[in-house]
Amino acid sequence: MDANEIMVIAMFLSFIALLFTGIPVAWVLGGIGIIFAFIGQFSDTYFDTITGLDYTTLGLVVNRLWKIMDNWILVALPMFIFMGIMLDKSGVAEKLMHSMQELFGRVRGGLAVTVTAIGIILAASTGIIGASVVLLAVMSLPSMTKQGYAMPLALGTIASAGTLGILIPPSIMLVIMADQLGLSVGDLFMGAVFPGLMLGAMYIVYILIYGLVKPEAAPVPVDAKPVDLTIVLNVLKAVLPTVLLIFVVLGSIFGGFATPTEASGVGALGATLLAIYNRKFNFTVLKEVMGGTLNTTAYIFAIFIGATCFALVLRELGGDELIESFLTGLPFGPYGIIFFILGVIFLLGFFLDWIEITLIILPLLAPVISALGLEINGYGVVDNPQLVWFVMLVAMTLQTSFLTPPVGFALFYLKGVCPPNVKLTDIYKGVIPFIALQLVALLILVFWPQLVLWLPANAYG
Amino acid sequence: ADKILLKTPIAFGSHLPALGTPIVWVSEQLNLVSDGKIKMKIYEPGKLVSPPEILDAVSSGKVNSGYATAGYWQGKMPAAALFSAVPFGPEAGEYMAWMYYGNGLKLYQEMYDNGGYNVKVIPCAIISPETSGWFKKPIEKPEDLQGLNMRFFGLGASVMEKLGVSTSQLPGGEIFGALEKGAIDASEFSQPAIDQRLGFHKIVKYNYFPGWHQQATIFELLVNKDAWGKMSKGQQATVENTCKASMTNAIAEGEAMQFPVMAKAKEQGVEIRYWNETMLKTFEQKWDEVASEKSAADPFFKKVWDDLSTFREGYDLWESNAFLPRSR
Amino acid sequence: MTENDTLPSVPLADKIDRFIQRIGMSVAWCYVLLVLVIILQVVLRKGFSSGLIIFEELQWHLYAVGVMFGLSYAQTTNSHIRVDLFYTHFRARTKHIIEIIGILTLVLPFIAIVFMHSIDFFVDSYRINESSDSPSGLPFRWIIKGVIPVSFALLGLAVLSRLYRDTVLLLRGE
Ligand code: NA
Ligand code: NA
Repeated sequence: MDANEIMVIAMFLSFIALLFTGIPVAWVLGGIGIIFAFIGQFSDTYFDTITGLDYTTLGLVVNRLWKIMDNWILVALPMFIFMGIMLDKSGVAEKLMHSMQELFGRVRGGLAVTVTAIGIILAASTGIIGASVVLLAVMSLPSMTKQGYAMPLALGTIASAGTLGILIPPSIMLVIMADQLGLSVGDLFMGAVFPGLMLGAMYIVYILIYGLVKPEAAPVPVDAKPVDLTIVLNVLKAVLPTVLLIFVVLGSIFGGFATPTEASGVGALGATLLAIYNRKFNFTVLKEVMGGTLNTTAYIFAIFIGATCFALVLRELGGDELIESFLTGLPFGPYGIIFFILGVIFLLGFFLDWIEITLIILPLLAPVISALGLEINGYGVVDNPQLVWFVMLVAMTLQTSFLTPPVGFALFYLKGVCPPNVKLTDIYKGVIPFIALQLVALLILVFWPQLVLWLPANAYG
Repeated sequence: ADKILLKTPIAFGSHLPALGTPIVWVSEQLNLVSDGKIKMKIYEPGKLVSPPEILDAVSSGKVNSGYATAGYWQGKMPAAALFSAVPFGPEAGEYMAWMYYGNGLKLYQEMYDNGGYNVKVIPCAIISPETSGWFKKPIEKPEDLQGLNMRFFGLGASVMEKLGVSTSQLPGGEIFGALEKGAIDASEFSQPAIDQRLGFHKIVKYNYFPGWHQQATIFELLVNKDAWGKMSKGQQATVENTCKASMTNAIAEGEAMQFPVMAKAKEQGVEIRYWNETMLKTFEQKWDEVASEKSAADPFFKKVWDDLSTFREGYDLWESNAFLPRSR
Repeated sequence: MTENDTLPSVPLADKIDRFIQRIGMSVAWCYVLLVLVIILQVVLRKGFSSGLIIFEELQWHLYAVGVMFGLSYAQTTNSHIRVDLFYTHFRARTKHIIEIIGILTLVLPFIAIVFMHSIDFFVDSYRINESSDSPSGLPFRWIIKGVIPVSFALLGLAVLSRLYRDTVLLLRGE
């Protein structure tokens, strides 16, 4: 093993180790990049290696940082975040919860189904995981507790439904993936529609079956009213503005009327109008939304910036080629390699979140996947179909990273708003079946790529 | 130095025929010709640094060389585009004549020196005409261009702007998506064989010729001057002559592969059109306006433009007598 | 996690943080502006199709300003993502020590490198009065390039404030 390879491995190991000190991920990435660049320079000077790293070369970090700033695809990101936080404040979700609860009132597990349905709607309107999980928990956990739901079921439903937004478009994760791999944002958004809806549907079916098998875990409320026309109308009235917003944002992207960036701006405005319509808008709210957007965008981009430094040094050391040749050299055959990669991402998802995996790992995998030579049907329309399909597999896998302990964002958010008597182990127990469902969904996608590619292929016709 | 490693970020993916393939050829040849004393490691676009940052990276020594085309730097130095491709400008033979046996190369280096860039420039590939662009609808008269959003490169972009087109200079990889989503209505990129790789024919059907904006395009190898100074005379000559050989190789490759692709495009329903007289006249007239405006705004642009124009006026006597008329 | 475990007050550090947050909140208006510019562009594109390049570039200018100045803001709100699996269980003293070592060995070197190189990057752009490479794009590209050193200086300040806070708290034994 030569010096460069040792340094590549040492980089990864020190990254994982330092991560657990609790120092912010972004600075761990950036700092390790700097330290290893100087190790490389030292080694070039005294040990006759050729890393080519030194203080001057590190200046490329600034050029790379500049390309993050000068990027018209990523402009959509703060806008979708703005939209999400504004919707969170707009009172739309409360209205939905209130009216839909009555609609499903007499169904066993109806409240949990309601939570999932609203999770899907929130996901399709923006998909800020933190906001969705907190919102769903605050709105539904007290009534689920009151109705006597089994705690694990209630918690698992909330966490999983709140996480749907990362997959169902618009999704900031898919925007970043498209940017990293040079794919069309629109293709990824469309590719994610069926997988996302399928996952949501699987959740609902699971809840209904669970209610049948274990009636005491998902009781029907005693005071449930029969469904009448007024209830249905109320639901429609509550759903309509949000559906309109979804239609405008996703419809304009899919219909080719607007770029994702334009749609994100329109969505941000739409969410603001909804807040005004619901009389929730004022200067304080606007300032909160602005501050929240500034903050959330910044902590995501900090990781971008740290990761670009890490990736630069990794590439200078030849880390790309190393990982590529390792993966392509695996004796598993194409599907074996794909399962291996997904397995690794699943495991990484226990400790890392989607941002790091998307920024550091995903770009390393793209050439490997292209080299597998899989015949994935893009119907002659979708550009680079096997990569689009693979990205969706990764996206589905990363969906689980939100739910897998110890580092699962959805779990943390949920714990943050739960009453103190709810134990973390309840949450863990609750999400296990949903993680299993995600793995099933993943398997379906692996063997049925049409689920991903049919829509983007046919929408353009 | 005994051995040298040129770390070379490139502006075009090495899989793109004629845009990216020449530098791969150069790196292979350098290794052979120098008996392994000169190595060139190529970094695909964006791997180390993205295309628009290559000049800065080479000049500051963050990498010791880079492969791009000068048109990328026209935001930094307006004259740069003249060393990349000139609208209604010379074809490859004439362009090389000016470059190597006129003042071209001297002015080319002078531009970087004046701009304070610490680089040695070596022309390292040249390709024949590009297509004039892909459109969603036929363009019969200048008014048909009014209001279009178009990806356009180099000096031709200013001409299009004068005709009411909004232009942007998207990198190759982003064009398809922008076109597909309607962010742009039309695009030029390169030669048929390259455009075909990017899949424009799937979305837009009208492919116009001739590429009045790029009758010939030169690509450059930039080498950091300090790194250049450390090379021996022999190594310097090896790099320069390999690049000169690459000019021959690139144009031969480019000339060989366009017609099969165009024939296939026709089968796929692409309309191959030739600009009518009015359109070509209009483009040329607007280009004359742009050239005089740019000359007025930037003294160095004027210097290069005047020199090239003088050369071309002289060449005209030869050109108009030497060649057979082209058949259409 | 994004949870803001508020640290005890340290007067000087508090003052610096408040200063940075004030700057951040003023910069945050660029996102509202961004919404408006996008809407304007949509209207112009669909309605009139003119002046688009400027708006397209203005969009990423605004986005970039928000992102870069947000870094220091998020630092003062302690929002940068941490893997807090063990971190939450550490004693306050351990946390202070980790924070101090982390800042000195990882964060400050990173910020210093980016800051120093970004000055050259900015100066080069200023020297040649760089403008957009689109003929009808925005001029004065060096202004937006200048955002890098300024925002990183501010980030550096925010990190130094944190360093000072942790050192004081460690010495105080809190
Ligand atoms: Na979403
Ligand atoms: Na996890």
